[in-house]
Amino acid sequence: MTTTSPVGAEIDRVEGRAKVTGAARYAADQRVNGKAYGYLVQSTIGLGSISSMNTAQALAAPGVIAVYSPFNPLKLYARQGDSAERYVPLQDDKVRFRGQIIGLVVAESFEQARDAAALVRTQYREEGHPRTSVAAAAPGTTVPSDAVGYPGPPSKNTVLAPGVASIDDALRDSAVTVESTFYQDPQNHCAMEPHATIAEWRDGRLTVYVGAQGPQQYAAALAGRLGVESDRVHVVSPYVGGGFGGKYKVWNDALVTAAAARDLGRPVKLVVSREQAFILNGHRPALQQTVKLGASHDGVLNAVWHETDSEDSVVGYCPNLPAEVTRALYKTPNLHFDQRQVTLDLPPISSMRAPWATPGAFALETAMDELAVKTGVDPLTLRLRNYATTSPETGRPWSSKHLDECYRVGAERFGWADRSPVPGTRVDGEWLVGMGMASGMLSATRAPASARVRFRDDGTVTVASAISDLGTGATTMLAIVAADALGVSLKTVSAELGDSALPPGVPAIGSIVTGSTVPAVQAAARDAITALITLAVQDAASPFHGKNSTDVHYQEGRLEADGRSVSFAQLLRAVGNPAVEAIATTAPGAETTRYAMDSFAAHFCEVRVNRYTGEPRVSRFTTVVDVGRVVNAKALRSQLVGGIIFGIGNALLEVNAIEDNGRLANSSLADYLVPVNADIPAIDTHWLDYPDTVFSEFGSRGMGELTTVGSSAAVGNAVYNATGIRIRDLPITLDKLIA
Amino acid sequence: MRAYDFAAPRSVRSALDKADAGSAYLAGGTTLVDLMKLEVMTPSRVVDINRLPLRGVSLDREGLHIGALDRMSDVAEHRLVRTHYPVISRALELGASPQLRNMASIGGNLLQRSRCGYFRDLSTPCNKREPGSGCTALEGQNRTHAILGTSDACVATHPSDLAVALIALDAAVHLNGSGGPRTVPLADFYLLPGQTPHLENTLRPGELITGITVPALRWAVNSTYLKIRDRASYEFGLTSAAVALNVRGTTIVEARVAVGGVGTRPWRLHAVEHALAGRPLTAATYEQAAEHATDGARPLRHNAFKIPLLRRTLVRALTELGDAR
Repeated sequence: MTTTSPVGAEIDRVEGRAKVTGAARYAADQRVNGKAYGYLVQSTIGLGSISSMNTAQALAAPGVIAVYSPFNPLKLYARQGDSAERYVPLQDDKVRFRGQIIGLVVAESFEQARDAAALVRTQYREEGHPRTSVAAAAPGTTVPSDAVGYPGPPSKNTVLAPGVASIDDALRDSAVTVESTFYQDPQNHCAMEPHATIAEWRDGRLTVYVGAQGPQQYAAALAGRLGVESDRVHVVSPYVGGGFGGKYKVWNDALVTAAAARDLGRPVKLVVSREQAFILNGHRPALQQTVKLGASHDGVLNAVWHETDSEDSVVGYCPNLPAEVTRALYKTPNLHFDQRQVTLDLPPISSMRAPWATPGAFALETAMDELAVKTGVDPLTLRLRNYATTSPETGRPWSSKHLDECYRVGAERFGWADRSPVPGTRVDGEWLVGMGMASGMLSATRAPASARVRFRDDGTVTVASAISDLGTGATTMLAIVAADALGVSLKTVSAELGDSALPPGVPAIGSIVTGSTVPAVQAAARDAITALITLAVQDAASPFHGKNSTDVHYQEGRLEADGRSVSFAQLLRAVGNPAVEAIATTAPGAETTRYAMDSFAAHFCEVRVNRYTGEPRVSRFTTVVDVGRVVNAKALRSQLVGGIIFGIGNALLEVNAIEDNGRLANSSLADYLVPVNADIPAIDTHWLDYPDTVFSEFGSRGMGELTTVGSSAAVGNAVYNATGIRIRDLPITLDKLIA
Repeated sequence: MRAYDFAAPRSVRSALDKADAGSAYLAGGTTLVDLMKLEVMTPSRVVDINRLPLRGVSLDREGLHIGALDRMSDVAEHRLVRTHYPVISRALELGASPQLRNMASIGGNLLQRSRCGYFRDLSTPCNKREPGSGCTALEGQNRTHAILGTSDACVATHPSDLAVALIALDAAVHLNGSGGPRTVPLADFYLLPGQTPHLENTLRPGELITGITVPALRWAVNSTYLKIRDRASYEFGLTSAAVALNVRGTTIVEARVAVGGVGTRPWRLHAVEHALAGRPLTAATYEQAAEHATDGARPLRHNAFKIPLLRRTLVRALTELGDAR
């Protein structure tokens, strides 16, 4: 009987039962004996210093063990570049932003710590006025090219056709031009699982239970700030309840928890409150951006211009490079972008699901819709007319690109042909109905990755890598790829991840986990088979002892030679080995310098806007993607749908408004609106099947963030088609549509 | 959360004995417990009234009676309510979430505290939470705040949808306290903020809501509640309208109109009712009447849109109700 490969099938997540029964232990659920509980004290001014803190009442409160503050600091080190924030908490009296951690109360119970924290009395000296406005500070300075921590593409560039003197000339010489400026306030990740840390020291070694997007990267960063070697910090993170970029770096709440546990000599647990997470654990930065397009009368692009001014928090950490999509999506002889940042006295910014491409694509794809209106060319035709087959910036061809088919198939599934080009002409009762479309594109990256595959004498296989499963299906992906590579059934494979002690894994950022890890699992599987055969021919107790290793064949969990067939479990038991394993490391090669590599999406959206009261509601959504080979259809659909929901929230609901004093006004789930089920229609997703064998032998590119890119533009373009009103300041709320 | 005494009496008499100016009654707990955790409310004693016999929905010649401890979900789906007063069912169903509606009581709904973000944030001044400290919303983020009944001390909206429906229907609340039972029209129950926004109603210290009565109104069968918000569910309204129409032929004989999301208390619109009475069921009637909805409105920096939105909300509600006949 042949084992059917699970690759590409609809596979339930392997940890699904544990999750729905509550057996899965997230960071805050881990059982650690003897722990104390921490609660944070935050600044209530936006800029200045602390003149005094009265902690006597808090210290005297029931159950309180310690109160840390700038006047009773924790031992921490300033090592730049690894931790999320650029300053070290509780080391000085400076207040850099409103809501900064200025104290930590540790007590015998959570309630005691929380209630004692309310008793800390702080006196401040306000010093000047916090900088809070991107618009007031623009133009900023171009993001340094090394700001992202690795040699990335330039953050400013101009490509001109021969004979063209400047990008302004190219725009001026274009028959039709569009110029639009866009703005959005901060947005927050709102992961279901709030940030939680349990830190336990034993003999100078720290075990940290935390939701981490990269267990090893997290361990290294934490170790640096604590002043210990990386191998002294063990990060345990088997389940992560959503990350979206907000659980990659070590935030200060985790730092002070680990430092307090060391100081007290007992485990400390700290779970940030919902309200605190909005402030302390990063946000998508405020952003102002302008796109200019120059084209012929029939919409053929001659110039694309994109400049951005993004919030950079005074405390860090993630630069914003929104022209990521602009530099490559369309064929254009003249291209210019400049990505700048302005420093504001606001809480830390962070990456948030396609942090660069999401806002960039909203601007570019809205401007393209405006160009379609201005030229009278159908938006879909306009995109096909400007279809790029080589990168306009580098001239490289794509490893595999079928975006044109995505457009075509998506249009067919959605019924794009029924769209009226004239806004406001489709009415259904009291609702104006509009259709919009947009493109999505996400850079496909592979990083060096390792994996271990282990045959065990009980007939099971384990596959392991120090990656993280944010709810994305990474655990299931490991199992599927190992089962496929070994020709064994999925249920015999168990996957291990979320532990810094496992073979080096890539962090769950930039949608790189699957693309990077699949080749490593495949290589480890091949090496494990080799090790199994070597054992079979070398061990005296093996039925294949003495045979030439090339005569022993592995197939579907069995070794065969001369008509004799033995399962790996039988072999291992025969030779008395509990297991045979191999660890393999793989990395991308020279293809990365010869090809452009991206995943692609075509979005089609129908929106209804109430004629009387203006509220926009998404009624249909179709997205077709080109992501290479699919590992797990069910996980893929889940990611695609989740990304689109993120886009709908981005377009219509999500905003954390900045107040003049530096307070982020919507920092609670009551005031910060994420979509609820009633906001989301049935979403139609479809994927093409073109394995990208240039990208990797397996052919699977990343896609976790892909559909967040462009989906908000499709919504906005549909709103325009429904109403004739173009909203360039997100979110698109009813007040902007009834004005 | 501050330490507090706890009592769970079995009779109204006993509950009243245990209550004083510093105590709080606990019913569904959906507002109180949240605000206690934030230390926005710091009662010295919590009196759990869930064992009191204050439940039951009934209809008689006087009208509809609802117990203070009936849960939102039970009342919303009650046959008598759904049939005779659809505006009440609808107002309840558009509030909160199913889980909250299963917990939250009718009495508690009427007493729920402000959803103004500054009220819940101890780091910002708020006259409602801390009298005399100032109103941050006046110059702060006030997109969701009130345009009617505001003062320079408070611009928070009243959050209850149910109260808007009940005000339109001339409902009364039954109270009991150390001075004995009394009944107050809901229209007189809620206070404008003035300079004392911490005083939200005419309840006396320790007084308890025991139930409500909605007067008989035959034509309330032709009523609806429309709630406008950014999110399709689980959000307080930017605007809302409770509307009932008594129609003969194609003429409006009489109307009841109240609005929410715009006033510092549930806002009855007698002027709109007068403008509708005796007029034909036409778009022009609705639009002319709705002009009166914002008489006296004072917009803030971020909520001027509520003036056109409120009018349109009314026109839409009237249109839907008129068309549905």
